[in-house]
Amino acid sequence: MLQLSEFLLMPFSLLSQGGEDFMRSSGKINVVYGVILIIFVGLILYVIRLDKRLKKLENNN
Amino acid sequence: MDWRYWWLKIVCVVLFIYVFTRGLLTPLKPGIEEISPMRAKSGSSFDLNIKTYNTHLLSGDLRVFIKSKDSLLIESDSNTVHLDRELTAHFFIPKALPEPSKLSQYSIIISSSQDGTFVLPSKLIISQDSIDVQSGKEHWSQLHPEFSKLKEYRFPYRNILYETIRNTFFHVSLWFAMFALLGASVYNSYKYLKTNKISYDLASYSQVRTAVFFGVLGLMTGSLWARFTWGNWWTNDIKLNMAALSMLIYAAYLILRAGIEEIDRKARVSSAFNVFALVAIIPLIFVLPRLTDSLHPGNGGNPAFGADDMDNTLRLVFYPAVIAFTILGFWLANLSYRILILEAKFDHDDNI
Repeated sequence: MLQLSEFLLMPFSLLSQGGEDFMRSSGKINVVYGVILIIFVGLILYVIRLDKRLKKLENNN
Repeated sequence: MDWRYWWLKIVCVVLFIYVFTRGLLTPLKPGIEEISPMRAKSGSSFDLNIKTYNTHLLSGDLRVFIKSKDSLLIESDSNTVHLDRELTAHFFIPKALPEPSKLSQYSIIISSSQDGTFVLPSKLIISQDSIDVQSGKEHWSQLHPEFSKLKEYRFPYRNILYETIRNTFFHVSLWFAMFALLGASVYNSYKYLKTNKISYDLASYSQVRTAVFFGVLGLMTGSLWARFTWGNWWTNDIKLNMAALSMLIYAAYLILRAGIEEIDRKARVSSAFNVFALVAIIPLIFVLPRLTDSLHPGNGGNPAFGADDMDNTLRLVFYPAVIAFTILGFWLANLSYRILILEAKFDHDDNI
């Protein structure tokens, strides 16, 4: 869970000057990786939610 | 694993592998990043410093041109290459310009045997004291030199965007997939209103939920992209605000659903709401942004994805990405739907 929160906080750490340069280096390719990361984390959260709902059903059974 | 639509799921996975490898590994075309100075005077010679992107200037024969609006050219008399991405070209501009105004804009063209030909459009401004179009046309070359071409498959280079042009495959596809899901959910709502079978309503509900999830991801990825291209996390672009507004309309749908206890009423009210929601959103996202100016391509009057915004190399990855995200959306919605059906069976124990 600690790593997940680090991922989620990444946009805020990018506000710092070092992050600015990082995102603008190498033709801004890191923006693309950031976008892919957001989608990936989103999908993981979606799966976790499905998992929880299934668990509830199994417990009721 | 539900194997009913196994081939669709395999198509989805294969397309994603294709989109990620092709979309991330294909290099950009070379381009001109910036020039200095950006102003010059006719009848004088000057050094033009040029910074380029994705080029190998050190290896390859170079020709540098200044091009007028009517495709008349002036070639540099000498070029000094400093680095693979930096050179200085020395030009002499004749006294008369081929344009009927004191200030006019010119493009820079670099033709390299190694990297092909690339252009910086209308960035250099040249001024003249007296206007003589006829003599200008004589001094500027009408010849069309042999420009070397790059044969490789590459994505277009755009200033400001740079590599983030690849986000088209991820950010834009999310929105396309969202609309496919919303369309299907309206169809299911319509089916529910017609047949009163609760399973249609649950299908519609699961599709809206997945669509909203895609929409939120679309807003977040768009926000990150905007920060490093347009300069801010959120701009007052009309398409952004309208997209946020549509998300709020669907948030209202989700809250409305959660607020009604009785199953049939819940299904009826939310189905009707869903039909109207999509009808309201089409003008918000597709019509209004075209009536005013927008930072998004395809708005402010011109058709979406015209030749300026989307080229065939991008389409070759973009369309598979749209299909992949759409299938993934329906896959996720289907998982959610099956859980909803099971929950309904446990809770009410009647036939669904």
